[in-house]
Amino acid sequence: MNSAVGEWLATSRQKLQAGTLTAQDLDRLAKLVETPRQLVLYLYSKSTNMRSALASWMLYDATKPQEPTLPSQEAPYESVLDAVADGWRIVQFPDAKLYRYDDVDNDYLGFEFILEKMI
Amino acid sequence: MAVIEPTLDDAGVMEFVATGFVLLEGVLDDAFNAKCDKMAGGNIDAFIGEDEFTKTVLLHPKIAGVARSLLGEDFLVPAGGHHHLYEAPHLGQTWHSDGLSGLGYDVTELQCYYYPQAVEIEDGPTMILPGSHCRAVDREAIAHYGDIRGQMSLTVPAGTVAMTRYGIWHKAGPKTNDRRRGMIKFSYHRQAAPQRDWKIDAPQIPEYQNQPRLAYVTEVESYRDRVRRMRTWNWLCGLDEESQLRWERSRPVSEIA
Repeated sequence: MNSAVGEWLATSRQKLQAGTLTAQDLDRLAKLVETPRQLVLYLYSKSTNMRSALASWMLYDATKPQEPTLPSQEAPYESVLDAVADGWRIVQFPDAKLYRYDDVDNDYLGFEFILEKMI
Repeated sequence: MAVIEPTLDDAGVMEFVATGFVLLEGVLDDAFNAKCDKMAGGNIDAFIGEDEFTKTVLLHPKIAGVARSLLGEDFLVPAGGHHHLYEAPHLGQTWHSDGLSGLGYDVTELQCYYYPQAVEIEDGPTMILPGSHCRAVDREAIAHYGDIRGQMSLTVPAGTVAMTRYGIWHKAGPKTNDRRRGMIKFSYHRQAAPQRDWKIDAPQIPEYQNQPRLAYVTEVESYRDRVRRMRTWNWLCGLDEESQLRWERSRPVSEIA
């Protein structure tokens, strides 16, 4: 069992005996048992170093309606490391061996880190 | 026979080599813009093939002058095209290129975007990524990219034509209103062998002057870009392979007395 739900049950049993259980307690339980949803953030770093500046970024947020938003030149973070400090977990690191190029040609854009946050 | 004078000089061609586009703002007049603005979306080969469109747009001295500068003598004038028309709000297209860049260093096609009406940021302007024209990409493999540092939204006055190297990354940007936003797309092509026959002041071919590094470009890519640009410049000038990697601010030891 989820430890937060366990704590809620213990507290609520006491409240129930005391006659102080309220609708807000039930609302809190509803939030606790919601299935967490995944936010996905693509960050394109200018090197494989997590402190490097970003070339590009894209947030996929399935918890909100998919509506148009105006383009921006402001990255959500200065670097991958800044995003990690804000609670994002890296689920895919760039594999340098995949970033091949031939002579001076290449078809990629920065080094791709994929991050997630569960909300 | 239409005689078209080139309008770009060495500096203009070098800039195109680096960025992959030339932007001609408000070059077409309001009356003609209004006529084009009424067109339905979709294929408009018949309209583009008419004398009026040909004379007003395709042979316009500033527009055709860029085509003449970059595609050489007797370039091919489009006889068809497409009207991309948006009205309802939408998320925007994904980044893509419409084609590859030939050998990678040649300039054989200019794809043009003509906007009959002013385009604001809320109208979902075309977005382009300057300098991306040399990257041959699988268009489906770049569809997940979002904002890119240095991207450019073509918020332009009515009557503007953007002339791009075929292969530049672009997309219709996100549209947040329901105002009509159209773009007429057509392409010029090269048939002449490349030579430096644009606007020139002196017969000696100057060495390529590198342009500033683009905002999204990594350190090593800036070196690759420099070589790509030098090769494209040399190709446009009709120079051979031997002279392709002559760096600016350097000279062969044999030339030193």
